[in-house]
Amino acid sequence: MIKQWLGSPLARRVGTTTALAVLLMVMTGPSGSTSQPTAGFVQSFSERSSFFGLFVTQRWLVWAALALIVSALIRVAKWLKSDYAEMVAIPGRLARSAQAPFQTKKPVRFGTYGVLMIVAILLPVFVTDGFWQQSLVEQVAIFVLLALGLNVVVGFAGLLDLGFVAFYAIGAYATAWVTGALPAAAPFGVHLDPFWAIPIAIAIAMASGVLLGIPTLRLRGDYLAIVTLGFGEIVTIFLNNEYGITGGSTGSHQVPHFTFHVGPIKYAWGLGPVPYYYLTLGFVVLFLIIFSRLEHSRVGRSWTAIREDEVAAESIGINPLKYKVMAFAIGAASAGFAGVMTAAQTNFLSPQTFLLSFSINILVLVIFGGMGSIIGVVCGALLVQVVSTWMDHYTPFGFQSQDLYMYLGAILVAMMIFRPAGLIPARRRKREIAMSEAGEGHMDEMLTGDTP
Amino acid sequence: MSDDYIFDVKNVTLRFGGVVSLNDVSLHQNRGEILAVIGPNGAGKTSLFNSLTGVYRPQVGTITFSGEPGHSVSVIGRKPHLLNGAGIARTFQASRMFSALTTYENVKIGAESHKGLGAVGAMLGGPATRRGEKLSDSRTWELLDFVGLRAEANTLSASLSYGARRRLEIARGLATNPKVLLLDEPAAGTNPAEKLELTSLIRKVRDRMGVSILLIEHDMKMVMSLAERLYVLNFGGVIAEGTPEEIRANDAVVVAYLGSSDTGEAAQPSPSETEDTDAQG
Amino acid sequence: MASIFGFFVTHFGILRKEFWPLLVGGLSNGFIYAMVAIGYTMVYGVLRLINFAHSEIFMSGGFASFFLMRALIGSSAPGGVASVLLVIGGVLGGGLAGAFMAMVLERVAYRPLRRRHAPALAYLISAIGASYFMFNLAGKEFGRYNTSMAQPFVNHTIFTLFGAPVQMLSMIIALVGTVMLITLDRVVGSTKLGRSVRAVAQDAETASLMGVNIDRTIVIVFVLGGFMGGAAGFLYGLGFGINYTMGFTPALKAFTAAVLGGIGNLRGAAIGGLLLGVVESFSIAFVNGAYLDVVVFGLLIAVLLFRPTGILGERLGRSA
Repeated sequence: MIKQWLGSPLARRVGTTTALAVLLMVMTGPSGSTSQPTAGFVQSFSERSSFFGLFVTQRWLVWAALALIVSALIRVAKWLKSDYAEMVAIPGRLARSAQAPFQTKKPVRFGTYGVLMIVAILLPVFVTDGFWQQSLVEQVAIFVLLALGLNVVVGFAGLLDLGFVAFYAIGAYATAWVTGALPAAAPFGVHLDPFWAIPIAIAIAMASGVLLGIPTLRLRGDYLAIVTLGFGEIVTIFLNNEYGITGGSTGSHQVPHFTFHVGPIKYAWGLGPVPYYYLTLGFVVLFLIIFSRLEHSRVGRSWTAIREDEVAAESIGINPLKYKVMAFAIGAASAGFAGVMTAAQTNFLSPQTFLLSFSINILVLVIFGGMGSIIGVVCGALLVQVVSTWMDHYTPFGFQSQDLYMYLGAILVAMMIFRPAGLIPARRRKREIAMSEAGEGHMDEMLTGDTP
Repeated sequence: MSDDYIFDVKNVTLRFGGVVSLNDVSLHQNRGEILAVIGPNGAGKTSLFNSLTGVYRPQVGTITFSGEPGHSVSVIGRKPHLLNGAGIARTFQASRMFSALTTYENVKIGAESHKGLGAVGAMLGGPATRRGEKLSDSRTWELLDFVGLRAEANTLSASLSYGARRRLEIARGLATNPKVLLLDEPAAGTNPAEKLELTSLIRKVRDRMGVSILLIEHDMKMVMSLAERLYVLNFGGVIAEGTPEEIRANDAVVVAYLGSSDTGEAAQPSPSETEDTDAQG
Repeated sequence: MASIFGFFVTHFGILRKEFWPLLVGGLSNGFIYAMVAIGYTMVYGVLRLINFAHSEIFMSGGFASFFLMRALIGSSAPGGVASVLLVIGGVLGGGLAGAFMAMVLERVAYRPLRRRHAPALAYLISAIGASYFMFNLAGKEFGRYNTSMAQPFVNHTIFTLFGAPVQMLSMIIALVGTVMLITLDRVVGSTKLGRSVRAVAQDAETASLMGVNIDRTIVIVFVLGGFMGGAAGFLYGLGFGINYTMGFTPALKAFTAAVLGGIGNLRGAAIGGLLLGVVESFSIAFVNGAYLDVVVFGLLIAVLLFRPTGILGERLGRSA
């Protein structure tokens, strides 16, 4: 009897729910140490704590309840048959969902974006808290820029770039260099305004992207991931150790602010976050427009073709390397650009900012929002960054900032298991994943022999 | 043999480790010809296609492709996308469309693949880019009409029938303005009605567009009615060459298809018998 | 020109003078890389994917054996039979923890994706997520600092090799490494269990038609690789202490070793590990210590670009 019950779907559900509850409890629970390795686990269950100031109770009660709710929601979602499940049911249903007309109209839907735009413009009026104004620039807007850039590499071209942070660092250090904030002498001995750093930083980041890309983009996807990771590490080691050039581990504190001086119009960005917010917002809008044009252009279609079937793409004259390098260069350029913005806004840079975990953070934004989906990536970045900033600031349930990456890692795994196409999937990506799972197409198959 | 050729293959040998996939293969295709390559499974037909399109790189021999009379390029060592640019298009044995794209998008990718990069243009959306888009659009519609897929333009390519997938692959190949189209078993998996449609479409491609055709096919009825000349491959080598009538009368071919027949009964098999044997092998 | 010449004269001079000590140190690290590289190579052999989270299996082995050693060893350093038993206990403890974590990892992060035939990119992302989750959870529960491990033996110099002192720890690492690598080679090469592993590596579809249980075989591969990795975590922890991020750099180096030897090739991984350890050690004579990792990453990139099949060629039991 017991054996039978253990094999039943109900038992499985109870098991998963319990595992989920335990996991959530431990993740949000107190920390331990090497001398008390079990303390964190034990207290996660036994401790009483306050929940959002509403009530004080045993921790395990709350998380068990939460897990039950989540598990019930998953049941309901399954029952309602998410459109993802529908996509998997190939081919009958696929035929129907495929009837959506192709787009020759404007790639940018102004309805959705218009509302978002108005909200974004009015935001600083409502958010008057200094911390949040600062965070909107440093933790949200810049990250949206970075996520949009990485989306071109991961989402459009399907290349996993774990060294994205290196290009961000290159952009930031290039800014410091041309503005004379580094031990290395500024070029031509002139200290430029950070605005002039934008083209220079983009050019340097782009060039390093191309130089790294040409030899490495021939490699398989997983090798590329490791090589880019290695590149990121090399850049960090270099920044940390070349005191004479980069200032070493102390970095630089002297990057000047942006100033704008054309004819009679003169404006200097200062310490206040709001002018920076609008400046960054302007660039976010620019990125949105150019990347969504790119997606719906010949270039975007070629990326899709290469992602799906490189051999077939080559047979109709698409040079995969060229398009991959292009995606890489565009990604690198946008990271470099974000580097300029950060350096000028914070006046400060240090190798401690430019770690692998930073690349992972950006990757989470792209994966969570939906690879290849511009609107998804923007929403994903907003959501993840606002929540993580909030947790960092208000430290609910004893949250520590180092715990952030534990949550981000969990998000990556959970997304891949439950919703691989992301929060707001891109149409092409969603189809592709569904195809690959139904055994259609030639998108990097696993566990099948590669016949020549 | 004429001097106005499309493909001139001389003594090509292709090895994978110790396995010889093509052994001293020579082949000549005249301009405007519908040429077929037949042979049992594993005879090296697809390896030959892959060598002709730059996917494989034979160790020995030369392959020359002449897109325009008096102008030729060496195939071996060139990348597939460059060969496509020179005028070689192909389809695949198991159709390989971009299954997450619509029929229309599949063909359009072919139509625009040789128009330079244009990333900057695409981002800025200048008039030149828009003009280019318009041109590829009209070309795409033209080709969809040509292969009879206009009604399916917005269908996801993965949900097309086998016959329609073949026609889509042909349209996508034609969109790159080739001089020769290599078809790898176009009739596989199609029904008799679709086979007839395909046969007339292939002939139409040659007659109306002046594109030479090189064909691998197992369906003997189709091959014999379509091809003007045939090569027979077995164990990686050419065992016979000639018109359909000559091939039908060739003893070596019969042996290759029926296996070395001990009974000596292998007289003159009708095309349909050959087909049956092949279906078993 | 003269300065380049001078550079090599000076640095090769250092290398010549310090050859034996550097070789001993390099081989000692090399055994650890080899043991970790086995895990990468085995998983690659059957799944054709790089297990990005293997570094955390190494880390788990380190932590498990750390707690075991602390529980077993009192204030004074043991000797004799007690030391031998403690080392065996540490290897088993680290190995079992590694094997268990590898099993959990396969179950949670990979199997759901395999069931769905997810594209390769999904496996990579899931593995990276799992890795970040695991080491940060370890940091949260066990503290984010380096702690040295209780030593099960006195680490004195036991003999000198051409003037290079060889310490107890190096000997133990070499001994344990050799025994485990040879055992694994035998297990995969000549047991029924190993045969199913090789069959799946060669052609999963055919193997499953022949009655090999693919799921079980994949679990076995993760367990074997995990055991080796976990045990390596113990040996590494003895020398360098333990830390929640301890897996990152050694695992990246072990991955380099696996690629160097030809990923998917068991003996290649072992040889690649030893070779990498020695190359890394020798490069101390030429570059600033801070740039040691740059040498290894550079080597990885160079191998991937110029000889991606490695020294011994790719793939577990795959002929062509």
